[in-house]
Amino acid sequence: MAQVDFVNVDKSYGSFRAVKDVSFTVGDGEFVALVGPSGCGKTTTLNLIAGLLDLTGGEIRVSGKVINDLDPKDRDIAMVFQNYALYPNKTVAQNLGFPLRMRKVAKAEIKDKVEEAARLLDITHLLDRYPRELSGGQQQRVALGRALVRDPQVFLMDEPLSNLDAKLRVQMRAELKRFHQDLNATVIYVTHDQLEAMTMADKMAVMSGGVLQQYDAPERVFEEPANLFVASFVGSPAMNLLPATRVERDGTVFATGEGWELTLSDRNGAAARRSETDAIILGARHSSLALHETETSGAIPARIYTVEPTGDLTYAHVEVGDKTFVISVPPDRRIAADQPVWIGFDQNKLHLFDAKTEQRIAQD
Amino acid sequence: MNSRFRITRWHVMGWIFLATLLFFAVAPMVWMLITSFKSQFAALKYPPELIPQNPNLEQYERLLSPKNDVGRQFLRYMLNSIWVSTATTVFGVAVAVPAAYAFARFRFPGRKALFFSVLFRNMFPAVVFLMPLFIMMRWMGLVNTYTSLIITYLTFGLPLSIWLLKGFYDNIPVELEQAARIDGCTRFQAFYMVVMPLSAPGIIATAIYSFITAWNEYVYALTFLNDDEKLTLPVGLQRFFAEYATNWPGLMAASFIMSVPVVVMFLILQKYFVRALTEGAVKA
Ligand SMILES: Nc1ncnc2c1ncn2[C@@H]1O[C@H](COP(=O)(O)OP(=O)(O)OP(=O)(O)O)[C@@H](O)[C@H]1O
Ligand SMILES: [Mg+2]
Repeated sequence: MAQVDFVNVDKSYGSFRAVKDVSFTVGDGEFVALVGPSGCGKTTTLNLIAGLLDLTGGEIRVSGKVINDLDPKDRDIAMVFQNYALYPNKTVAQNLGFPLRMRKVAKAEIKDKVEEAARLLDITHLLDRYPRELSGGQQQRVALGRALVRDPQVFLMDEPLSNLDAKLRVQMRAELKRFHQDLNATVIYVTHDQLEAMTMADKMAVMSGGVLQQYDAPERVFEEPANLFVASFVGSPAMNLLPATRVERDGTVFATGEGWELTLSDRNGAAARRSETDAIILGARHSSLALHETETSGAIPARIYTVEPTGDLTYAHVEVGDKTFVISVPPDRRIAADQPVWIGFDQNKLHLFDAKTEQRIAQD
Repeated sequence: MNSRFRITRWHVMGWIFLATLLFFAVAPMVWMLITSFKSQFAALKYPPELIPQNPNLEQYERLLSPKNDVGRQFLRYMLNSIWVSTATTVFGVAVAVPAAYAFARFRFPGRKALFFSVLFRNMFPAVVFLMPLFIMMRWMGLVNTYTSLIITYLTFGLPLSIWLLKGFYDNIPVELEQAARIDGCTRFQAFYMVVMPLSAPGIIATAIYSFITAWNEYVYALTFLNDDEKLTLPVGLQRFFAEYATNWPGLMAASFIMSVPVVVMFLILQKYFVRALTEGAVKA
């Protein structure tokens, strides 16, 4: 297994820059999730590591060795594709054995390794079948098996679970995580499902528009999103964001908007002062907000738009000016649409962003 | 609902249609075969014998035996035809496969011209190009050579072959090749070991199509070749029987022998076509 370094990696398709100056390091044995909206350059990044695309600039190193100019076959990297890419005219056993056969491994050894991988993934009974005779979940296992047999330095996975139904996805998610722990493998895992990233990864790389927005442990990305994009992308429902104006009176800092004013705590006030301009953005997760039915000091007026019970929690969609907040409340809470409410903030869990730079303002 | 098969008016109409089609396709073949077994005299009888009274293989023996002049000449024509058709097919496939793959996978200037060339070629009857091509061939000193025919058949056949094959390659996901390359193949091996087998039905269909086209072609062969020695079967037969005037059974036997490869290949072709259509190149 190995460490992977991205150093100022750039990739352009013609005049379109799909990956812009991306740098990060995947530690030996780490599971890194690459997340971001569709078209942000995730697959491109993965293909650059695999050698299926040539870099336009920068360097990729595996175990310290620059691999920019190596052929995919010489990179000792395995990949699981979103559509599995199983060879349709080969049986499961032949699919699993193919990477070994191409590497001139002895027949007997291929047989042993294929059987071992099949046992690990519980597909022994499928070895003689063709891919078209398998269910989606089974194909997924075979694709994983084909990556496993070779014991490569790095595993690349491009949305391997996105074609599975919800139940199977949860099951395979657990299996993949377990498999990563058992093999202590270096894995780079592309997904646009941020829940998958949160639950499985040691680190999360959030991309948008070809730019790496944040690279950190999932809980850090969740608790301290680096900018507005990450704040709104990570977490479900998305973080509530409220544009406000910073106002200072008698040494106290307030955030104000149309028809409301919020006194900021000392810590948040100090942070707000660091904003380049008066324009700031408040961020609050659904669980950090309180819903009051009567006017409360430190709470801002709003109106219920609609109520969504989901069983465990009820999500209240609340209108604040022209913004809509999503706030979770216990399911037994009696609230109704069009009811006037007041939103209370937990100042310890409030996020502040500079509206001009869109970056997080550190609070301490 | 009753699951038993019920014959509706639509079924009957379908069958009538098929039967008509079959009749016009098969009847001439059958008549050709029957006549070829008759004696020369019996073939001229009116009303004609539907079943020959004294069927014999005399014509076939004569045509296929190198021991007599007629047979020698016939076999000569056949060899010529086999050579021209095979060369056209081999060159055609050797060029069409990589070209189709390139058209399907790579972006380059002039890529869009392929569709246009297919269209262009099929907009005009082949005869339109006869004189210009003949003049070109004479200018290049290729008149009375097989090269002239092979070049002509290739220029006519290739656009369509490439177009057909490109369809196959378009349907094979790029990820398969990418997987192969990661699994240890070079670019060429990925093509050769993974993509090629998947496009085999397409390649075979294309090959057979080129072969049949070259095998049956008459007008260009007639114009470009002079020496009696060099004639291909369609032209040869025509000259051949002009000399023997009214030997109907002989003509029919020769025609039948000539259509055997076409029919056999067509049977193979349709099997591959059906397979290519129903299974698809790849099931994702
Ligand atoms: N061969 C190509 N030529 C030109 N542009 C391309 C090419 N491949 C990808 N792109 C563009 O590069 C950008 C990044 O594509 P990429 O496939 O990496 O996105 P992604 O993050 O994997 O998206 P998804 O989640 O939809 O798979 C997209 O805007 C895409 O349109
Ligand atoms: Mg992608």
